[in-house]
Amino acid sequence: MDKQNERIKNRHLMIRFLSGSKRFFIAGMICACFVAFFDLINPKIIQYFVDALVGTPASASSGLMRYIRSLSVAKNYSAMAALVVVMAMAAAAFRYAFQYLNAKGAEALTRRMRDLLFEHLTRTTAAWRSAHRSGDLLQRCTSDVETIKVFVSEQMTKLFQILLMIAFSLYFMISIHPVLALIAAAYIPVMVGGSIYFHRRIGESFETVDREEGKLSAIVQENLTGVRVVRAFGKEAYEQERFKKQNHGYTNLWVHLMKIMASFWVSGNVIATLRDLIVMSAGIIFCVNGSLTAGEFTAFISYNALLAMPVRGLGRIIAELSKAGISLGRLREIMEAPTEPETGTAKPNMNQTISFNHVSFAYRKQMVLEDVSMVIPAGATIGIFGATGSGKSTLAMLLDRFYEPDRGTITIGGTPLSEIERSWLRDHVGIVSQEPYLFSGTLKDNILLAADQTSAIDHVTAMAGLTHTVETFPQGYETYVGQRGITLSGGQKQRTAIAQMLIRRTPIMIFDDSFSALDAETDEAIRRRLRAEPQSATRIYISHRVATLMHADRIYVLDHGRIVEQGTHEELIRQGGLYAKSAALQMRGEEKQ
Amino acid sequence: MKKIRHFLIPYRRTLILMVVLGTLSSVADSFYPLFTSYALDHFIAGQTLDTMPMFIGAYIGLMILQELDNYYCLFQCGRIEMCLDCDLRDTAFHHLQTLSFTYFNQHNVGSIHARVMSDTGKIGEMFAWRLMDLVWNVSYVICVFAVMFTIHRQLAFFVALIIPIAVVIIYSFQKKLTGYNRKVREINAEITDRFNEGLSGMQSIQINHVEQKMFRRFQDTTSRMYQTSIKTTHYAALLTAVVTMMSSCALAIVLQQGGYLTASGALRIGTLAVFMSYAIGLLSPIQNIMDTIASWIGIRVNIDRLSELLAQQPEVKDTPAVIEKYGTVFVQKRNNWEPLNGDVSFEDVTFRYPDGTENVLEHFSLHVPQGSTVGIVGETGAGKSTLVNLVCRFYEPQQGRILIDGRDVRKRSQSWLHAHIGYVLQTPQLFSGTIRENLKYGNEQADDRQIEKALHLMAADDIVRQFPEGLDHEIGEGGDSLSTGQKQLLSLTRALLADPQILILDEATASIDTLTERKIQNAIRTVSAGRTTFVIAHRLSTVTDADWIIAIRDGKIEEQGTHAELMKQNGYYAELVRHQNMSASAENGGIA
Repeated sequence: MDKQNERIKNRHLMIRFLSGSKRFFIAGMICACFVAFFDLINPKIIQYFVDALVGTPASASSGLMRYIRSLSVAKNYSAMAALVVVMAMAAAAFRYAFQYLNAKGAEALTRRMRDLLFEHLTRTTAAWRSAHRSGDLLQRCTSDVETIKVFVSEQMTKLFQILLMIAFSLYFMISIHPVLALIAAAYIPVMVGGSIYFHRRIGESFETVDREEGKLSAIVQENLTGVRVVRAFGKEAYEQERFKKQNHGYTNLWVHLMKIMASFWVSGNVIATLRDLIVMSAGIIFCVNGSLTAGEFTAFISYNALLAMPVRGLGRIIAELSKAGISLGRLREIMEAPTEPETGTAKPNMNQTISFNHVSFAYRKQMVLEDVSMVIPAGATIGIFGATGSGKSTLAMLLDRFYEPDRGTITIGGTPLSEIERSWLRDHVGIVSQEPYLFSGTLKDNILLAADQTSAIDHVTAMAGLTHTVETFPQGYETYVGQRGITLSGGQKQRTAIAQMLIRRTPIMIFDDSFSALDAETDEAIRRRLRAEPQSATRIYISHRVATLMHADRIYVLDHGRIVEQGTHEELIRQGGLYAKSAALQMRGEEKQ
Repeated sequence: MKKIRHFLIPYRRTLILMVVLGTLSSVADSFYPLFTSYALDHFIAGQTLDTMPMFIGAYIGLMILQELDNYYCLFQCGRIEMCLDCDLRDTAFHHLQTLSFTYFNQHNVGSIHARVMSDTGKIGEMFAWRLMDLVWNVSYVICVFAVMFTIHRQLAFFVALIIPIAVVIIYSFQKKLTGYNRKVREINAEITDRFNEGLSGMQSIQINHVEQKMFRRFQDTTSRMYQTSIKTTHYAALLTAVVTMMSSCALAIVLQQGGYLTASGALRIGTLAVFMSYAIGLLSPIQNIMDTIASWIGIRVNIDRLSELLAQQPEVKDTPAVIEKYGTVFVQKRNNWEPLNGDVSFEDVTFRYPDGTENVLEHFSLHVPQGSTVGIVGETGAGKSTLVNLVCRFYEPQQGRILIDGRDVRKRSQSWLHAHIGYVLQTPQLFSGTIRENLKYGNEQADDRQIEKALHLMAADDIVRQFPEGLDHEIGEGGDSLSTGQKQLLSLTRALLADPQILILDEATASIDTLTERKIQNAIRTVSAGRTTFVIAHRLSTVTDADWIIAIRDGKIEEQGTHAELMKQNGYYAELVRHQNMSASAENGGIA
C-alpha cells in the first residue's frame, strides 16, 4: 500500500516536471515513426531490384510497393536509385526533426526540474536544511536531475524506437516469409533476457567500483589539503603506500570487471552471429525449395541485420529503468521539503521594543532555550554572552523567524512575530552570521546583495573596516570572489558580510559572533563607528568575547539555554559570576603585565 | 608527450599485438558480406545445397577465430586502460609527495586533484579504447575498399567518390560542435555552482530576503543552458541526418551503376549484394575515425597538464651525499639517523619567497636553545609562517644558514628533520580512517595503552568515550563527525604521541568557546613542555610566557624580545597588546 502510494506520488511529480516539455517528446516520437518507416523501405527496394535482375519480382500489395515493382519490371535502375535518395532525404528530414524535438523536450524538462528545485529550496525551512547534508542535496540537484533527463529523453525514446524497429522489421519479415521470420525472432527473447539478467547482476559490481573510486579520490583530496601535516610528520612514504594500496585494489576490481564485460560482449556477438548464420542457412534452403526469391532473401538479410543492434541494447535499457524511479524519489524528498509557513499579514513599525516573553525552544528533542525573557528597547545596544551551545545564536534565528518558539512569544512593539508578514520582518532585521557566505560574483555584487545602493558602498565599506582590503585588490570592488574567485580570509569575509548588512539600513541589527575572526583592534573600531552612526537602530551583539560586549547597554548571559545573569559590564563583573570568570580568563595576559 | 610515451613501454608488446589482432578482426568483419554473396551466386542462383556443410563450417570457423580475437582485444584494451591509469596516478601521487611548497601555493587543491584523478583517466582511455577504435575503423575501411577494388574497379571508384565529400562535411560540423560542447560544459559547471550556493548559502539568502533575486539569477543561467544546448543539438542532429543520408546516396550509386552492369552480365548478383552492404556500412566507420582524431587532438590538453605536473622539480632537494647516508623519504636509512635535540639557529638568513619580489627576511639571526618557546605574533596575513616554513625546511633561504643542533639543516635529510617535528595546524587536519589510525599518524609503534595515556593527559578521553566503537570510530573524510574543538584536541594528542623534539603550533582562533579553549590551552602546555616550540599566536595572552617573541608586520620582523622587554620598548608589540585587551586594564584596575 505504502509502496503504491510512493509510486503515485512519483508519477504526480513526473507529470509536474513534464509539463511544458511533453509536447516536444510526443512530436518527436511521431517523427521517430516516420524515420523507422523510411529506413525500412530501402531493403524493400533492394528486394524488387534484385528480383528484377535475376527473374520476376513477387507481386506487391500496397501502392508504394506496386510503384517500386513497376520501376523494377521496367528495369529503370536510375529511377530506383533516385527513389532511394528521395527516401533517404525524407528519412534525414524526420531524423533531424526527431533529434531536435527530443533535445528540446530534454532541455525544457531539465530547465523546469532545476528551476522548480531551486525555487522550492528558497522556501525551505532552516530546520530541514540543517537536517540534510548540502553535499548530498547538491548531488541530487545535479546527477539525479541528469538521470531523469536521460531516462525520459534517451532511455524512453530509445525504448520506443527499438520497439518500433522490432515491430516494423517483424512486419516486413513476416510479410516476406512467416516461418523464416519466426526463426529470426526466436533470438529476441534469448538476447534480451540474457542481457537483463547480466546487467542486473553486474550493477552491484559497478557500484562497488564507484565506491572504491570515491575512497581513492578522498585520499588524494586529504593528502593535498593536509600537505603540511603530511610533510611535517614526514609521512610521504606512508601516504604513498596508502594511495598505492587503494589504487591497485581499485584497478584490480576494474580489470576483473573488464574480464566479465568482455565475455558478455563476446557471447552477445556469438549469439548474434549464429543467428545470422541460422537465418541465412534457412533462407538458402527456402530459396532452393522455391518458397523465397533471391530478392526476398537479400531484403530479409537486411531486416535481420537492422534488428541486431537494437535488440542488444534493449536488455541494458530495461535493466536500468529502475534507476530513474530511485532518482525521482530522491528529488521528491526535496520537492516535499517543508516550506516556511506564511501566516502573518501585519506590517508594524519595526523601530519599537522587542520582547521575549518566557520563550522556550527545543531542537531535535534537546532543550536549547528555556524560559528566556528579555526586553530590548528600540535603539538600545544589547550584548548576549554565552559559550558554544549555550543557545545564543538560536535567539537570532528565533527573532528572524527561522524557527518558532515552542512556548512563549516574541513581540515587536506588542505585535507577536507570528502575526508579522515574514518578508516585512526579514526586510527589517539584519543578521551577520559567524560564518557568512559569499556568492560568486564581484565584491561589489556581494555588498550590494540586498540593496542596490551604489552610492552608499564607500560609506558601508569604511564602516565595516574593509576599505583598506578593497584598496589592496588590483580590481577593487570588481574583484571576483566566491567559489571561482579569490579566497578571502575569515576576517575579510566577516567584514564583507557586515558591509552587506549595513547597506540595508535595517532598524534591527544582529551581529551573531560576527567579529570572531577579526582581531580585537578591528572589532573595536567597527563597533566604535557603529556607535557614532546618527541613524538609530537596535543592535544585538552575540559573542563569547567579553571585549566585544562590554560597551553594550545591557548584557544577558546565557548558560545552557537559560539567562543566568544580566546587567551592564560593570554590574556583571561585580556579581563575580560566569561572565566575570570568563572575563578574567580572557584577560589573563593583561594581569601578568 | 615524451613523458607519457615512457609509460606505454611496459605495454608495448600487448599494444602491438592488439593492433595486429584488431586489424584481423576488421578483416573478418569485412568478410561476412562475402558469405551472402556466395549464397546468392552459388546456392540460390545454382539451386543447389551441395557445399552447405562447408559453408556453415567456414562461417563458424571465422566466427570462432574472430570472437577469440575480439575477446583478447576487448579484455586487453580494458586492462591496459586501467593499468595505464593506475601507473600514471601512482607516479603523479608519488611525485606530489616530493614537490616543494611553492607548487602547492601556486595551484589550488581542485586543479591538482583533477590532474591526478581525471586527466590520468582520460589519457588511459585514449591509449587503449580510442587507439583500438582507430585501428578497427581504419582497417575496416581499407579492407572494404580492397575487396571492392578487387571485385570491380569501376564500381569501387564510384563509391570512393563519396568519401572526400563526407570528410569535408563531417569536419566542418565537428569544428562547430567542439565549440558549442565546451560552452555547454561551462554553463553546466555554472549551474552546479549556483545550486551549491543555493544550498550552502540559503540561510544568507533568506536572512537578506533576496530569494526572488537569486531565483531570477538562477533562471538566467538555466535559460542560457537551454538555448546553448538546443543550438548544439541542432548541429549534432543535422550531422547525423546528413551522414545517414550519404550512406543512402552511396547505396543509390551502387544501385544505379551496378544495376546496368549486372543486367548487362558484367557483374554477378552476389557481387552487387556485397557492394550494397559495403556502401550502406561505410559512412559510420568514417565518422568514427574523424571523431577519434578529434578526441586525439582534445587529449593534448590533459597530457600537457599532467606532463607539467610531472616535470615540476622540487625546490628543496637533498644532496646525493645526504641521500646516500640518510636515504630518501620513501627509503629511509633510519640506522644512520642521529638523534635530534632541538637546538635551532638562524644564521644571517636572507629569504624571499620563490614567487615573491621582496626579501621577507634580511640578515636575520636568532638562536633558539633546546626546549625554549618562541612566540610569533602579528596581524592575520602578515607572514607569521615564514620562520616556521624555514625551520621545517619547506623553503630554503637564499643566503645564510639554518642550523639544527649546530649543523646546517641541508647536511641532513628532510625526512630525518621531519621525523622529529610535530605540527599542529590552526585548522586541524585529520584523515579519514579510525581515531586510532589518526593518533598513530606520527608514531606507528604507539600501542593502545600509550594512546589512552596520551588522551588522558590531553583531557581528550571523553571524545573517544562518546563513541561506542571507541578508538575504532571512523571519523569520516576530514573528520566530519567531530567538532572543531574535538579535532584540535585530537591533533594535539597526535603531536604528543609523535614525541617530537621540535613542535610547531599554529594557534587556533575563534569559534571555540572559552571552556574548550582552556582545555586546548592546557593541552598545548602539556605537549610543549620540554620541547623547542614555535607558536604562531593569534591571541597574545598565549605567548606572554614565551622565552622570545617575534612581532611580524607586513611580512617583516618589526620587533623581537621577551614580553617584558617589548612592553618596555612600547612599540608595535605593545600597541598590539593594548588593542587586544583594550579596556580590560581599566576594568582589572577597578577590581583591584
